[in-house]
Amino acid sequence: MLGIRLFFIGILASAVIGAGVYVMKLRSDNAILKANQIKLESAVAEQQQLITKQKEDFEEILAANQKMNELVNALKKDLDDLDKRFNKKNRDFGKLSIEKTEVMERIINKGGEAAKRCIEIASGAELTEQEINATKKSEINRECPSIANPNYVPY
Amino acid sequence: MYHTKDKTYRLAWIIAIPLILCLLLSGCSGVKQLEIFKTEVEREKLNLKKPTALELEQLKWIIITSENAEEVFKKLEDQGIDPVLFGLTDKDFELLAKNFARIRNQLKITNDLLDKYKEYYEGDLKEKDDKK
Repeated sequence: MLGIRLFFIGILASAVIGAGVYVMKLRSDNAILKANQIKLESAVAEQQQLITKQKEDFEEILAANQKMNELVNALKKDLDDLDKRFNKKNRDFGKLSIEKTEVMERIINKGGEAAKRCIEIASGAELTEQEINATKKSEINRECPSIANPNYVPY
Repeated sequence: MYHTKDKTYRLAWIIAIPLILCLLLSGCSGVKQLEIFKTEVEREKLNLKKPTALELEQLKWIIITSENAEEVFKKLEDQGIDPVLFGLTDKDFELLAKNFARIRNQLKITNDLLDKYKEYYEGDLKEKDDKK
């Protein structure tokens, strides 16, 4: 009789203690879950930031590519213009030099000076105020307006 | 006496076994805390100085034809310059001009490319210059 009573007391006691332990465990789990939730939320926010940054980077890459393409095209146009200056309307550069030696010498030296300045700019030299503000054909560097005169719009 | 001791032991076992079982079972099914590791180490910047822009010397071109050759050489002698000229035909002059234009274009593209890479990987160059 006493054994059965003790057995029930034991079960009851262990049930109470077990319940207590379980509740404590639940509370601790809950705290951990809350902390996990906060961490997950911050991780999601960080991922969002990362996606935004990646988007910005892609846009930057696209813009840089576009700028490079524009530059390559502009430089190609400068080269085509140089070719035209030599051969425009079947112009014979040699014949012209025989006929108008001094004029051609002046033109060539002026062109040489402009070409020299172009190489300086291409190597990283700063543009002068005069070059930046040039908008007329008479003011520009005819050898490389695309890099020497950013405000010049061909007309 | 023996009877009471025996009962106490039994009671102790009766309480202890379920308790241990409870603890063991609840211990197995725990929620683990998340550990997020961040070990991002930024690469050192290269920080190479950009080469100084070129400053070129101005050349003087002289056009010599069969008619003015003598006059040109005489002028050179009068100026104390050796009467010798390195010549190009009109076609070669044209090619030289185009070659220089191509070199210039390549220089510009390479320089801009370098700037773009630097700007992309090391931030805005202008902003940095302003801060300095």
